Amino acid sequence: MNPILDIQHVTHTFGQHTALQDISFSVQQGEVVGLIGRSGAGKSTLLRCLCALERPQQGHILLDGVDLTTQPERQLVRIRRKIGLVFQHFNLLTSRTVAGNIALPLQIAGCPRKEQADRIAELLELVGLKGFEKKYPSQLSGGQKQRVGIARALAANPTLLLCDEATSALDPESTSSILNLLADINKKLGLTIVLITHEMDVVRRFAQRILVLDHGRLVEDGTLLDFLRDGQNNRTLQTLLADIRPSLPAFLTETLASAPQQGHNKAIIRLVLSGDNASEPLFSALHEQFNVRTALLQGGVTTVGEHLSGDMILSLEGEKTEQALSHLKTAAQNMEVLGYVPSHS
Amino acid sequence: MSPLILKLILHSTWQTLEMVVASTALSVILGLPLALFMIATGPQGLYRLPFAARLMGMVVDAVRAVPFIILLVLLIPVTRFIAGTSLGTEAAIVPLSIAGIPYFARIAEMALREVDSGLVDAVRAMGGTRMTIIRSVLIAEALPGLVTGVTVTLITMVGASAMAGVIGAGGLGDLAIRYGYQRFNTTVMFGVVVVLIIMVSLMQVIGNSLARWLKH
Ligand SMILES: Nc1ncnc2c1ncn2[C@@H]1O[C@H](COP(=O)(O)OP(=O)(O)OP(=O)(O)O)[C@@H](O)[C@H]1O
Ligand SMILES: [Mg+2]
Repeated sequence: MNPILDIQHVTHTFGQHTALQDISFSVQQGEVVGLIGRSGAGKSTLLRCLCALERPQQGHILLDGVDLTTQPERQLVRIRRKIGLVFQHFNLLTSRTVAGNIALPLQIAGCPRKEQADRIAELLELVGLKGFEKKYPSQLSGGQKQRVGIARALAANPTLLLCDEATSALDPESTSSILNLLADINKKLGLTIVLITHEMDVVRRFAQRILVLDHGRLVEDGTLLDFLRDGQNNRTLQTLLADIRPSLPAFLTETLASAPQQGHNKAIIRLVLSGDNASEPLFSALHEQFNVRTALLQGGVTTVGEHLSGDMILSLEGEKTEQALSHLKTAAQNMEVLGYVPSHS
Repeated sequence: MSPLILKLILHSTWQTLEMVVASTALSVILGLPLALFMIATGPQGLYRLPFAARLMGMVVDAVRAVPFIILLVLLIPVTRFIAGTSLGTEAAIVPLSIAGIPYFARIAEMALREVDSGLVDAVRAMGGTRMTIIRSVLIAEALPGLVTGVTVTLITMVGASAMAGVIGAGGLGDLAIRYGYQRFNTTVMFGVVVVLIIMVSLMQVIGNSLARWLKH
């Protein structure tokens, strides 16, 4: 299948500053892609190139086979009508009502007035804001404004939805409901979504695939599970993942030794599990097979996309600890021994 | 107050209103496109033409730098060319408008600059043409500010029209000077001041509430 979006060797500079450097990737129809990276990494710039607001100096961006970088401005105006954009600060017109805001892309597309009203009602139903037609943006909460922003982005039936930190200005509860809404839209409409965020938690719950930008370069492309598995080898990933990964409590770090000693032989490990592994009765298995006492110190099992995933820090103690560890090494997706602490702690 | 004085004041009030309303209307009709031109051709504008933007800015500032009383005299040939005469109420509308256009243009420019550039991006991203952006974003979003600008221009024109007596335009200012200052008729003077205070206050109150109503 041809990708809906194909980015080939895109480079973009602002004066002396290189904001994007030789970026290549492609996105399939219906995919949900999370774009992460530190502040200033070039995420927004990339997104602006994808929706043809910015023309990269080098490279090609193919949307449904059409190269955006070579189209004249007149054509770009038409192409943009097929791309929905959701902003961090909503960017709703204060001079228009909710209905008026959602109507704008329809008016631009030349949709007849009668159909506009039906479409607006349908969209408000979809985003859960039925009956809000006549309200002004100033009368809405942040979460409600973002729902209007999403309805507006979807109004003209886009083939691609781009979100630039769509949840960064919202509280955790609104963030959840907006993410659920986006996931819902992705399922119901099969819409392709590219979402920028610097909250790893958003990516964890939502994105099927993650792209990591760093200093204008695409440094990673994979699933969160891939990253959890190989995270410790990559500094960029490590700092980004720090937010969502369990970390060792301070009181244990103090007594942590790299090798077991007499009376200092309780193993502290980091364990990554996925899929079926994550729901197995791990602790009792370790006890039955190796007579090892296991305690959960940090982390647990959560949902990543549609699968279960475990990311936890455990302590293991018993005669056959080393056997248990080598068993886990092969059975788990990733196992890392962080060190050993005194057995009484 | 005698009926004669009352009639004089009424007549002058009408002349002042005629000058103020007509010149403000012209200032808005011609000043707003000028402001849009300066915004659109400026840096980050929709049609970047930095040289044209700079030139227009200089012309606007040059006109604004000339005190109105001097402009009034300086423009006599222009007034005669446009209005057919350089004397009277209608003739005074020409220099008042020429002073008012760059005045309103600068105020409108400020109001338009206040519009969040994110909104321009949003409408550009949904495939809006430049005309759509100018109409639905720039003007629509700046409307409360533009209305405030119209109010300020109206009140400034009330003040400026008082000087138009120099070219025989009549009006309240002229009346106050001829009767109050030259003939020491304090009744006329006070009458004129009261009318001016009421006129300006009404403009301010109406302008403010209109702007507030537009600002949802
Ligand atoms: N219009 C511009 N002119 C000049 N430099 C720019 C412009 N837009 C972005 N930049 C620069 O390009 C780099 C990338 O910016 P960008 O906004 O894409 O970062 P980002 O990854 O979205 O960061 P954040 O997470 O803070 O939003 C930054 O160093 C920024 O200063
Ligand atoms: Mg950004």
